[in-house]
Amino acid sequence: MDVIVPPIPDAYDEYREALRTFIAAHKPALAWKQRTGVRVPDGAADIGLLRGYVRALDEAGYRLDRFSSEPGDPHQQRIMEQELGAAGVPHVLGNPLVAGALKHFGTDEQRAAYFPPMARGEHIWTQLFSEPDAGSDLTSLQTRATLVGDEYVVVGQKVWSTWAQWADFGYLLARSEPVEGAGGITAFILDMHSPGVDVRPLREMTGTTDFNEVFFDEVRIPAGNVIGAPGEGWRVAGASLAEERTSVGGAGGGAGNDPGQRLVQLARRTRRQGRPAIEDGAVRQQIGDLAARSRIQRHLGQRIATKAMKGQITPADAPIAKIWFSELNLQTTEAALALLGPRSMAVEGDDLAEEDGRWQDAFLYARAWTIAGGSNEIMRNLIAERGLGLPREPRGQPQS
Amino acid sequence: MDFGFGEDQELLRATTRRFLTEHQSLAEVRRSLEEPDLFDAGIWRQGADLGWTAMLVPAEYEGGSVTEQPLVDLVVLAEELGRELNPGPFLPCNVVADAIAHFGTDIQAKEHLPRIARGEATCAWCLSGDGSPEQSVVEVRATRDGGGWRLGGVARYVQAAGDATLLLVTSMDHESGAVVNLLVPRRATGVSERVLSGLDLTRRFAEVRFDEVSVPASAELAGGWTVVERCLALATVLQSAESVGASDRLFTATVEYLKKRVQFGRTIGSFQAIKHRLADLLLDLEAMQAAAHYAALAYGDGLPDAPEAVATAGAYVDDTFARICGEALQLHGGIGFTWEHDVHLFTRRAKVNQVLYGDGAWHRERLVRLIEDTAEE
Repeated sequence: MDVIVPPIPDAYDEYREALRTFIAAHKPALAWKQRTGVRVPDGAADIGLLRGYVRALDEAGYRLDRFSSEPGDPHQQRIMEQELGAAGVPHVLGNPLVAGALKHFGTDEQRAAYFPPMARGEHIWTQLFSEPDAGSDLTSLQTRATLVGDEYVVVGQKVWSTWAQWADFGYLLARSEPVEGAGGITAFILDMHSPGVDVRPLREMTGTTDFNEVFFDEVRIPAGNVIGAPGEGWRVAGASLAEERTSVGGAGGGAGNDPGQRLVQLARRTRRQGRPAIEDGAVRQQIGDLAARSRIQRHLGQRIATKAMKGQITPADAPIAKIWFSELNLQTTEAALALLGPRSMAVEGDDLAEEDGRWQDAFLYARAWTIAGGSNEIMRNLIAERGLGLPREPRGQPQS
Repeated sequence: MDFGFGEDQELLRATTRRFLTEHQSLAEVRRSLEEPDLFDAGIWRQGADLGWTAMLVPAEYEGGSVTEQPLVDLVVLAEELGRELNPGPFLPCNVVADAIAHFGTDIQAKEHLPRIARGEATCAWCLSGDGSPEQSVVEVRATRDGGGWRLGGVARYVQAAGDATLLLVTSMDHESGAVVNLLVPRRATGVSERVLSGLDLTRRFAEVRFDEVSVPASAELAGGWTVVERCLALATVLQSAESVGASDRLFTATVEYLKKRVQFGRTIGSFQAIKHRLADLLLDLEAMQAAAHYAALAYGDGLPDAPEAVATAGAYVDDTFARICGEALQLHGGIGFTWEHDVHLFTRRAKVNQVLYGDGAWHRERLVRLIEDTAEE
């Protein structure tokens, strides 16, 4: 039994040093403030700067192998993830979910056409899956793609698309085949600059704009832009969504990588009944509980990685990681607000705000994680039905 | 990264499961519940032949493990024994053997370890007056007496003390304020025990009294409170693994039952209210496995975060075992409330595991202290 990732050999020190120097020299100064979660820069100038940064990285040979058909050197990949992740500005522009779809279902031509510009920051992608009436029940999606000659004509509406306001391409699921349910769905590559695409940014409860609505008014897509085969879209999406859920579970994002330490620090700075909150037994118990569960989150990730290596992944694994992370993340931010007491009323921009409001923002954004990527209720259905083999939920009659 | 068991360990698991199924299954344990003594010396020796008490004993004292990770091997055994709610002194024997192997002299090791490894000697650990792992409640008093010690006082809630031949007694020398750990034969003059009528029907606990018990200096394990710390960590790891094994079995049985039980013309496992609860239980089970396995790995290999890993298992695993039992009982409905159904035996085991070797609150407090030591101001 082992969870120790093999150490990176000393020979790579030079590589890491060079990357650090490169990042320091090229990292753009953004007007945008980065917050926890999957957040999207809010100004065109920042997007331009980020595209330049990612292009410079790519030209210097720093390319993540998620955007490549060939695996890269694993040590270099790890160093890149560590150093680029620590840089404090995004280095993956857009939603990269399509990369997995192209890797498993795309043609060589598609990979050759789309991977390099994705890696260079030239193409920003968005995901066009959910619809106002097809959220958890995604196979009931109604956006239509009708084959006319050698083009599909798309009519419909999508929602919850991150990065769509800046996107060059979309990873679209639409109904093209004359069958109800999953079998009628096809996955497409959509040029977001096509006539008839209308992106309307949503403002969420956080006050920021990370998601969009996207409308299609007779948008034309060349038939060659289908990913996989017509009618195979649900399988294509399933493969890439499973990857997303695991990475959400493994992200540790939200409340920070060590919530235990952060909460202890917060409880030291906070006073309760005339003494530091960290001296309060109830506070200590709560922090101990959250800290234990955050360590377990890491070990669940290690367990899943081992199962993946041995080819023993079950349909319950990704949903388990997703539920665990998102619910713990929410509870951690709620605990932080409770610890802050009345001080939790002041948010970002106010002089009284703790850590410039990071906990309040993390709390509000935490409400996205329990829904996004498949709501936790759908995750529980998946665990019970596909993981434990319990009977499927009956489908209701369509509402007239 | 391989956070799973190796082939040799899976073989050990299969062998152990077969042996227990044939010789000491839960059905068998259940039949002996009304007996005055749950301990079966014959079975215990056969178990010892299968390595139940040898993993943490060095080869020179007739021990040996299956792999390079003895504690992970032992966790495999603990899970299997837990599945059958085994009544044997597996946990205290291994804890005491490890303490002797780690802190004992050559002479002590030679005297005790081969006999423990062979299953001839069985052990119990007399920790404190109220069963909790705090110095302030150690109620056995050690007084210097010539070259040795004289013991007086009481230890309570001692696991398997009624079956033990050898006691590890944690005592307090009030003159120096030091904790003194002594190896005492249970049949030594002045030692008496009373087996408690207990909540856990598949294990026995005892109150052990020491009345002017003379112990030679050669019976002392050097190390003071660090001996207790080591015993506690190991007990937490092993008990967590037993709880994982028991939880896994009960959960699986519950899922199977809910796939069969029909009400309102459908299997009740098809109701979403039930499915979501089962999904949550699988989440609990996976999480307790992750916590217990990492604790064994970290503690066994001496990783830097071993103390946090053990505290995490202690904080989460047994409370979760109890929650799984509670849900399993509720989901079984009336049948789960009967004496004949096994669910109460699991529930009783879980309620006792929750409070043994530091309860969840104790381990959570410990985890916070460890974080405080490393968190910057």
